[in-house]
Amino acid sequence: MSPSSATGADALVLADATVAYGRVAALERVSGRVPAGRTVALIGPNGAGKSTLIKAILGLVPVVSGAITVLGQAPAKARREVGYVPQADTLDADFPVSVAQVVLMGRYRRIGWVRRPGAEDRAVAAAALDTVGLAHRAKERFGTLSGGQRQRVLLARAIAASPRLLLLDEPFNGVDAVSQDALLAALAKLTAGGTAVVISTHDLALAHLACDDVCLLNRHQFAFGPPAATLTPELLRATYGGAAVELGAHGVLVARP
Amino acid sequence: MSASLGTLLTVPFERPYLTRALIELLLLGGVAGIVGVFVLLRRLAFLADALTHTVFPGVVIGFLVSGQHGIFPGALVIGCLTATLFTGLAATRRVAEDATLAILLTGFFAVGVVLVSRRSSYTSDLTAFLFGRVLTVSDGDIVTTAVVTGAVVVLLAALRKELLLVAFDPQAAQAAGYRVIALDLALNLSIALVVVAAVRAVGTVLVIALIVVPAAAARLLSDRLLVVTVLAAVFGMASGWIGLLVSYQVSVDHGIRLATGATVVLVLVAGYLLALAATAARARSRRTAPDALAGSATRPALAGEATGPAAPSAPEAPARAAPRGPVR
Repeated sequence: MSPSSATGADALVLADATVAYGRVAALERVSGRVPAGRTVALIGPNGAGKSTLIKAILGLVPVVSGAITVLGQAPAKARREVGYVPQADTLDADFPVSVAQVVLMGRYRRIGWVRRPGAEDRAVAAAALDTVGLAHRAKERFGTLSGGQRQRVLLARAIAASPRLLLLDEPFNGVDAVSQDALLAALAKLTAGGTAVVISTHDLALAHLACDDVCLLNRHQFAFGPPAATLTPELLRATYGGAAVELGAHGVLVARP
Repeated sequence: MSASLGTLLTVPFERPYLTRALIELLLLGGVAGIVGVFVLLRRLAFLADALTHTVFPGVVIGFLVSGQHGIFPGALVIGCLTATLFTGLAATRRVAEDATLAILLTGFFAVGVVLVSRRSSYTSDLTAFLFGRVLTVSDGDIVTTAVVTGAVVVLLAALRKELLLVAFDPQAAQAAGYRVIALDLALNLSIALVVVAAVRAVGTVLVIALIVVPAAAARLLSDRLLVVTVLAAVFGMASGWIGLLVSYQVSVDHGIRLATGATVVLVLVAGYLLALAATAARARSRRTAPDALAGSATRPALAGEATGPAAPSAPEAPARAAPRGPVR
């Protein structure tokens, strides 16, 4: 798969990409493509390089060999059309900002410098908050929401920016079932609209359920393809190293992070 | 009562030097309060503190080179230099090495003290630099302060969206393509400008209180950023007014000389304690009416409680930008 084979329909193309902090390669030889409207799960143990890959797709970590092409451009040039959803628990719960203000932040790039958010920006932000099912919490302080609700607000913020590629870093960590359903419903709506989605997660069952493809990572790529072909005991054992993968309740594969 | 209070609040200002001091303190109190909100949000109290140390030799050198008129430019050069260096250091994530920084800061400060100690009027000069002389500000000083205030307020107002985003979620700001280091530099230079402008009036030691305390008190009273900002500015200005008045009245009526700058800071601290007491009282009344917890204005101290078991990962917010004791 060469970089030149990228077509307009591919939101993300990874072509034998090696990503490094300084001289230390964090992630080697990753290949794969994410067409518009499709969802890919990045799966691997902690420290496998999932977050590093997301940062590289954002152009924040350099690609030292191979190539990453985002929406037909170099990663750093495509940032305005790429949404990023960080883990909600990395943010200061005491910060004096309302839920509506957080979602409006997704519009800042479009609003531009100095100018105030207009009626359209507020309408788009309100619609995004409605998509994640939290329209009724708009006026509350962000930090008063539960962890799962905060994660939904951050997704709404990304949606408000109308991204063509959306990157989510461990969005389901510590999230209750209600919020998980709301997140999945919002993501389904986005992909139906043509947005490509990349999710890093530990949740194999969720990857099975919600993703078109799976990328198994641990310092390098172990597999990239449909869940049925990639979420096999052999490949998962190889990725997680030894016996870290078990058959859990209901015959579902469980990865210990 | 109101007439006598009105007289008490305004009559002293018929003296021109007090009027000038009042204008200076109102300008500084307002702009320091506004900058202080960003200092609070970014937890940059340490930078403000660092600036007061590093600016000191600039003040002294400026004074030695061209007297009173040299203080502002001397402090300005060193203040901007410090802010720029700090921004660069922070970008490489080496600021955590606070021992190195402490050595650097106290070293700077000592250079200032050594330079001052070579003058014959050592004690009085040192006192002026450390604690300021607001009663001797000139019309020119006021113009300088007004220009700095205007520039900083315009800059912060223009960048308010982006500064808010960077303060709240720097990773997302970077991911969205903002040059975070440039925004950091703009904010850090604003803080430096306010420190430098306030040095002549309240001295290098007390300026940190002017920046940190109004915002911290305002934050106790509101969860809304706009309200916090307005409250901080009003609180800063009111403290300047009341502090000046108290120090004047006490010296006139009782013959006790009170340093104006220090009195202003004491008023600030008293105001902060009042805000703290008000918050504690509100928390107690809320605890007796538990269903009020569902309200939108949940106080920060109750955040963990309000989110409940659904948020096991919610980290206990670490101590906020409390006024750090200067390394002295």
